[in-house]
Amino acid sequence: MNTGQVISAAGHATLIGWMVFGGIFRTEQLPIEATEVSVISGEAFAALMAAQDSPTSQSEVTQPAQPVVDNGTGAVPEPETAPEQEIPEPAPAPAADDAPDVSELSPLPNAEVSVETPVLPTPEPDVAVEAPESNETSVPQASIRVAPEPVIAPDPEARPDPVEQEAVQQTETGETVAEPQEATTPEEAASEIVTEAEKPSAAPETSLRPPPRRPTRPAVRAAETSESAAETRKPAAEPAAEETIATSAVDDALAEALGQASETPSAPSGPPLSAGEKDALRVAVQQCWNVGSLSSWALETTVVVAVSLTKDGKPVVSSIRQVGSEGGTSASVKQAFETARRAIIRCGARGFQLPSDKYDQWKDIEMTFNPKRMRIK
Amino acid sequence: MMVRIFTALMALMMTATLSLAQQGPLRIEITEGVIEPLPFATPNFVAENGSSAEMGAQLARVVAADLQNTGLFREIPASAYISNVTDFGSAIQYSDWKAINAQALVTGAVNVSGNSLTVKFRLYDIFSGAELGNGLQFQGTTEGWRRMAHKVSDAVYSRITGEGGYFDSRVVFVSETGPKNKRQKRLAVMDYDGAGVKYLTDSRSLVLAPRFSPTGDRVLYTSYETGFPRIYVLDVGSVQRRVLESGEGSISFAPRFSPNGQTVVYSQATGSNTDIYTMDIASGRSTRLTSAPSIETAPSYSPDGNSIVFESDRSGAQQLYIMSANGGEAKRISFGQGRYGTPVWSPRGDLVAFTKQSKGRFHIGVMRVDGSEERLLTASFLDEGPTWSPNGRVIMFHRETQGAGGRSTLYSVDITGRNLRPVRTPEGGSDPSWSPLQK
Repeated sequence: MNTGQVISAAGHATLIGWMVFGGIFRTEQLPIEATEVSVISGEAFAALMAAQDSPTSQSEVTQPAQPVVDNGTGAVPEPETAPEQEIPEPAPAPAADDAPDVSELSPLPNAEVSVETPVLPTPEPDVAVEAPESNETSVPQASIRVAPEPVIAPDPEARPDPVEQEAVQQTETGETVAEPQEATTPEEAASEIVTEAEKPSAAPETSLRPPPRRPTRPAVRAAETSESAAETRKPAAEPAAEETIATSAVDDALAEALGQASETPSAPSGPPLSAGEKDALRVAVQQCWNVGSLSSWALETTVVVAVSLTKDGKPVVSSIRQVGSEGGTSASVKQAFETARRAIIRCGARGFQLPSDKYDQWKDIEMTFNPKRMRIK
Repeated sequence: MMVRIFTALMALMMTATLSLAQQGPLRIEITEGVIEPLPFATPNFVAENGSSAEMGAQLARVVAADLQNTGLFREIPASAYISNVTDFGSAIQYSDWKAINAQALVTGAVNVSGNSLTVKFRLYDIFSGAELGNGLQFQGTTEGWRRMAHKVSDAVYSRITGEGGYFDSRVVFVSETGPKNKRQKRLAVMDYDGAGVKYLTDSRSLVLAPRFSPTGDRVLYTSYETGFPRIYVLDVGSVQRRVLESGEGSISFAPRFSPNGQTVVYSQATGSNTDIYTMDIASGRSTRLTSAPSIETAPSYSPDGNSIVFESDRSGAQQLYIMSANGGEAKRISFGQGRYGTPVWSPRGDLVAFTKQSKGRFHIGVMRVDGSEERLLTASFLDEGPTWSPNGRVIMFHRETQGAGGRSTLYSVDITGRNLRPVRTPEGGSDPSWSPLQK
């Protein structure tokens, strides 16, 4: 190991240590703005409605008794009827509907229940083919669905599904290498909400004619390119034999440190998930995290949801539980948790794509659903 | 040797880092999601007797339309159903509904007995395999069946979104017929979805800007019955009305109730100057709130009644300002290009809806009460008169098309700018005002 590598190693070690122990990953929580909402009494309006009712709808509706709905019968007891009121003279005012009474029903019982790579045509060497410049890609397109990444109109043959899959069909002999399944594709989506006021004009802002340019020289032949590339590639230097041999003291220290780490009972064994594997899991869940039907209060609520996964990456539904929340009201926390739970179940139905050899690392997961960025879509 | 020591130190550091990071479960943070309508199914409500079948279908259609019209839900057509609901009390086959990607299922039952109508419903979260809340039962008369359906929709909407619904509400507006140069206007009231239109006045005199009271029992409006604009308060139940007398030789317009319904804030023009006044309805005593030589108009109270947002051209261009409900110094909140007008404070108190005129087009927009996060939701030849739904989620306004034969139509739009759609009325409509949720 040369001096540069030593300095680099020491620098990285210091940086990692500072990041871990220096608290750089701790972020200050931004203040959550809460607004009070006044509840408007409707007593006066209910009286108004009673006054407007047509004579035939004047009979007062009483609060029905608690209905009893059992397993099969679903019988609901008849509510008691209040004495009839005197029917007033019909007013020329608009007839309003009765204010119905509400009562809760008892809960129901549980239910019994090989692709060839297409070859691009090689352009003529003396002709430069250029697409006309256009700003279409930079203009946000409106769509009924908003997703982190915009999705163009999908194949109409494919069934919309958050998890994109290729079709598996039977061969002519009736054999299949995998279970037959329908092709699925994500639905068309825009990356942000586009209001009517933000919709771009249909007129192009720049000419579609290609700008006048001299033809470019033909590209260097592929063979030449690969040859030159091969020349520039140099084999990685093999590590010196002496660098692969550690002293027994260092080995002992490393072994002791690793041994202590593995003896920690709560620490999962095996190699941790790479950043890419975590990102893949994050993307898989966010495809089903639909915040479109959440209230503005729920969009200010962060919930932490714990879930256990089976070895094939499927969530254990009964293990999904809320372990923390921040912001919002109790009602909005409930809505936010239900939405998060739905996302985990939906997109985990076929199993999250996680490395099986690292099962100990991902068998228990805590997912923090933070909708802050979705509020400004 | 130095190399080995550094290697050992680095290894120890990494080991410590990994052991620290691996303690407990794997933790990830989800900050990006999708915004799309939630798929739901609403089979026809089960008829509990022979005469209820048609009513069951009608109820289910109104519930489905209510939810779908929000833009937050997408109905799965009945043709896609694998199983159907034939018994309100039977267990749900979640797998059948999961297979067609229904995330919510609304089942119901209806019983018609003479003039009496009983409606029950349950809401299921399909992917959780559980009922969302308890079943509810409504009872009334058959004439009120649409309100029953709206009540069901409000409950479903509230349970899924976590905020109150707005389906069981009404809208008072100006119904318009005839060409622009000979347009006849009369006050009308309807369900929020345009159904059940009833007329409150005739079309002999011009009427403008009706406004529901906070309890929905009265309507303020401006009428030219005497040749000059005067403010009237109409009792919706008896259709009795009385004029709110303002100062001699002045013109009063743009009235709006205070949140407690006891005070009216309005504009009064004397000579070439227009200022904002309040009037105690019981005593008729008025108080002047502004005294600038410029035009101050279109006042609207905050939900707590402590502040008033209004438009003024005191800066040379029409902009929005907020002042105390008792008057005093006003703070400008709009600073964009163009002219801002007709501000309306959201029932939640966090946003102000407004009309903006810029570059020859009209927009309906929203901004926070400090003027930040302005967002234009619409754009057309003429968009005006925003009014908030009771839950502060939807804005209704009117849009007029160009030309002598242009027609004025009511529209609604979500505060995100999505789901812009017309509200069907028998005639043209303008100046909508949304009532509170009915009880």
